[in-house]
Parts: sequence; C-alpha cells; structure tokens
Amino acid sequence: MDCIIRNYRHLIIGVLATLMMTLNTSCGDEPDGCEADIETVTLHVSSPERFFFQATDSMQVVLSTDSVITFAVRGDADVTALAPVLTLSQGATVIPASGTTHDFSNGPVIYTVTSQDGKWQRTYRVNIVPTLVTVADTLCYDFEHYELETATQRYYQWHNVLPDGSLGNDWATANAGYRISMSTALPEDYPTTPLADGYDGAAVCLMTRDTGPFGRMANKRLAAGNMFLGTFDIRIAMSDHLHATRFGIPFTSRPDHFTGYYTYEPGPTVQDFYGNPIEGRVDSADVYAVFYRNHDAAGNEVVLYGDNVLSSNQIVAIANLGYYKPTTSWTAWDAKFVYREAIDEQLLANRGYSLAIVFSSSRRGGDFIGAIGSRLCVDKVRLICTHEE
Amino acid sequence: MTNIKTILSVILFVITTTMGVNATVLDSLSYDVRLGYALGGTVPTHISNEIRGINSYNPGFNFTVAVEASYPLNERWSLHSGLRFELGSMDVDSRVKNYDIEVVRGEESLKGIFNGNVCIKTTQRRLTLPIQAAYSLSDKWTLRGGFFMGWLTNRRFWGWAYDGYLREGTPVGPKIEMGSEPGDRGDFDFDANMRHMQWGLDVGADWQIHRHWGAFAELTYGLSGLFKSDFHSVETLRPLYGTLGIIYRIK
Repeated sequence: MDCIIRNYRHLIIGVLATLMMTLNTSCGDEPDGCEADIETVTLHVSSPERFFFQATDSMQVVLSTDSVITFAVRGDADVTALAPVLTLSQGATVIPASGTTHDFSNGPVIYTVTSQDGKWQRTYRVNIVPTLVTVADTLCYDFEHYELETATQRYYQWHNVLPDGSLGNDWATANAGYRISMSTALPEDYPTTPLADGYDGAAVCLMTRDTGPFGRMANKRLAAGNMFLGTFDIRIAMSDHLHATRFGIPFTSRPDHFTGYYTYEPGPTVQDFYGNPIEGRVDSADVYAVFYRNHDAAGNEVVLYGDNVLSSNQIVAIANLGYYKPTTSWTAWDAKFVYREAIDEQLLANRGYSLAIVFSSSRRGGDFIGAIGSRLCVDKVRLICTHEE
Repeated sequence: MTNIKTILSVILFVITTTMGVNATVLDSLSYDVRLGYALGGTVPTHISNEIRGINSYNPGFNFTVAVEASYPLNERWSLHSGLRFELGSMDVDSRVKNYDIEVVRGEESLKGIFNGNVCIKTTQRRLTLPIQAAYSLSDKWTLRGGFFMGWLTNRRFWGWAYDGYLREGTPVGPKIEMGSEPGDRGDFDFDANMRHMQWGLDVGADWQIHRHWGAFAELTYGLSGLFKSDFHSVETLRPLYGTLGIIYRIK
C-alpha cells in the first residue's frame, strides 16, 4: 500500500482515503512497465583512444524515435567482437542480452526489446561502423530523396546522399513536433514539405504554419518551416522547444563557401507571441551555416541549440548573408565562412568539429513570432571546402 | 435544450409537491428550508492501479440550499420532495503510471500513455429534484431514501497532465515530456463532454432538535456518471458525497 496522502489540508482527505480503500484496492500493485526502449548503449573497449574518435563516442543516448543506432568508430578499429551494454525501459528485457559479444563487421546486430508486461516490442539495429575520415571538396545537398515518415505516414523526412552513394539521415525538421499540435494535418500541410518542381529537380519548401487550437492554448501560435543538419528531439519539443533542435553533425572538411538557390515570400502579417499583428514588419528568412567545436575544454560533448546556434563561444566560423531579399524567382546565394579562429587539423581528423546548416521560413519562429504563410524554398545547396588555408 | 429540461423539471416539481391541488393535501404538507455543506466529490467507479497516489485533494466549497416538502401517507411513512440548488467543486492531483490519456482541443487531439502527474479540477452547479420515501422512527428521527434527477446549469471539468511524459499513441510511440508551466504541460478541457442530466440515489436522516430547527445528513451517489457515454478520455467518474446541514421547518 504505497498510496501516500501528503496534503492534510482538510479532514476530508481521510474520508477520501477511506473511500478509495473501500471502493477498490486503490494504489495496489504497481502496474508492469509497458515501454520497450533501448535508452542508452555503451561500448567498453580495451583502448578507447584507438577505437573511438572522441572519448564521448563510447556512449549514446538513444532518442525514443530512433530504431537505428550507429557508432562511427576509427577506420582501423576491430569490430568483430564487441559487447554493447544496453540500458532499457524499466523492467524490459532484450534479446540478444546486453553485454553479449557480437560481430559487427557484417552489418548491424538486431536487438529485440520486450516490455515488462510482455505486450510491446521494439526492434533496433545497432551498427558499429569503421569510418574513414574523408576530406571532400564539395558536398551537395539536392533534396531529391524524401519519403513519408515510416511509423505515422503523416509527414515528410529527407535523406542526404553520402559519399559512398548510400542515403544518410543528416537532415532533420521539426515536423514531428508539429504533429503534436496538429494531428489532423495532411503531409502537405506541415511546415516542411517537398517541392517536386524546384530549381533543379525537387527542392524543399518551408512554410510558417498556424499551430491551431493547441498552439493558441499553449501560446505557441505558429511553427516556422525549418530544416537543419542535426537531430530533432521530440522528447522536449513541448517542454523546452529551443533545445529540441540539436544543430550540427560531425564534419571532417574545412568549409569555405555555402551556396544554394532560394525563393522567399514573406507572409502577409507578422504576428507577435500573443498572435497580435505587428504593423509595418516584414518577416525574414534564416539561411546560414555554422562550423563549431563539438567538445568543450573539459572534453564534454557540445551540441548547439535554438538559443545559441549563432552565439556560442564554441563557434569557429559562420556563413550567413543575414538578409535574404524576398523573391519569387530562384535566386543564388553565396555566403563565405568567416573564421574566428584557425582550424586544428588534428581535431578536424578526429571528428572534433560539427557543421550545422539551418533554414527557417521565419527568423524569430523560435520565439513564435513571424508571419503565417511565409514561404522559403531551397535547392541545390553546396558546401565548398578547402583542404588547407 | 437545457432550458426546456429545466422548465419541464420545475413543472414536474410543482406537480409533485402540490399534487391534487387540494386544500387537505396542502394543509397536510410540511415545508422546510435546508442549508448543507457537502463533503466528498467525484470519484472513479474503479480506481485502477494506474493511479499511484494522491498528491493533494481539495474538495473546494460545496453547499446545498433546498426547499423541501413532506406529505404524510400514514403515521410513519411520508413522501418527500423539493428543489435543491447544489454548488460543487473539487481539485485532485494524483500520480499516475501507464495512464491512458487523450487531450482534445477542437478537431485536434493528442493521445497516448502518460506517466507523471495529473491535476483535475471540476465545478458544477446543479438543480436537483429528489423523490424520497421517509420513515419516522420517532418524533425526532426520520430516515429518508430515494432517487434524484439533477440537471447541471453550469459545469466545468478541466486540468492538466504535468511533470511526466506521454508515449504518443502507444507505449512504443514517441516520448514527449511535459513540464509544469502552461504551454509546457498537457492541458485538457472536457466541459462539453459532461452530461447535462444526472440521476442517482440518496439516503439520509433528519434529526428534529427544536420546534423549528433540526439537522440532517445525507449520502448521494450518482448513477449516471459525470460524462456522456461516448466519452472515454477519463475513467468513469460518479458523484459521491455526503452532506451535513441544518433544517429550518417553516410549517
């Protein structure tokens, strides 16, 4: 009987407690857990500095929306006998067991997690991939590869083309967050959608959208269309939205220019946090790239968020024209990375820098200020890199 | 619709209390005015083990004002009816695990399995018509029992899920944390899903202390539930409360 009545404000509490006990076996045995997540994965190896690029790479916190877990390890690392240690949802079990040794050289090992109550299962693919550090001249992002999100089929997600021709998951959007407030929205009504006929093949289209009755209730009245290199953490989309956008992916080349093509049509009326029109204000788009050190001086992993992506002292270089003139015809931009400090080549080779590219249809969308209907389309994005200065 | 029901019910009350419009009937009626304070509130019919504990409970200010009449059938038995106005409110804050929840706003809804805390607030104003059989044990003591019909003139049921997380859709769906501030938590508002009409059973006892003054105690249990039958966002909740109060006998 762990039913604890904490607040003795009224005598009636005793009456209620008595009623609860009389009516039923209230607060009886704690129900079994129904979740079936891998929450973290840790790899223990004998010489981590020769196995991992960074010491922090040995442990991953797994997002609830992820079912593929990938460790990028040094190119010469031996992955034939590794024993990942998993932490799971309360009471859940996993097959094969946590801590058992497997060969990861032939592709992923599939883990099946079963909830404590036995009613729910999830499967995960764990990859441990020896990764050669490639130094690219130009990285191309053309937004040709998109699909409806697998589980819900409610919104689009995008894939980038990796150097070996396979598809990666480097692009993220906040579409999953929009679904919390607008469960009835069609895929085409989400803030970030594909545009079949872009500048060259398909483009991506970002539009500031109304978040409906839930948005009004929560004083989060709009959702800017956004797309970025990084991950979106749905877990904190409601409670801490600026930290839900985790900007940046490890990047092993020195970016020099950030180019692409855009169209931008600001929506008719900029509204403030409370939804009131701001007369005379025209909405503006964000198009920028940020290159930053992904560990701090103490060796802790650093990710940039919505509230510091342009201000963190981890930033090494930014490419941002600042103003993107409204235009309905495809217009080229070319932003040069402005460096604040020299690149550490050793750190670059050890995946110690990350690159964030951020697009948004309303610059102040993070504060829920913008014009519903503002529309930014982007295509043929290039990162032109140099080997050395 | 509510107004029509209210009018019909008042007519019904008038008919019941002045049955026959007969001087002898009227002469034999006795009237009293009651003022009561209700203890209790709205309880689930089944408290599942998904509710892990009560953080706080506040019954609010619940009172009843009533005008009631008795018509004697014989020496011991009488018919008892009247019109009551009841004002009730309640706040309950509880800890839950694996709790099915659906937050609805207009066309949009967010549902899933919630782990954390749920705060529920409810207020209602109700006009009630009781019809009871009364049995006099002595000059001082009378026992009563019967049923009631009530119609809510004002009803509110709202609250929020907070300091926890939702698994959207199913227990393996996306995990969404909820904070404690408005906007970060999951607010819900189920006013529109509440019933207008309620009915149930009540039993009570009257104690005649003085020529005009007395006291009463009554236990009321709603059979109709608080919500319409097609509403499943919260478990079946039924009014259950005890009322203690004073009686002033007019005649």
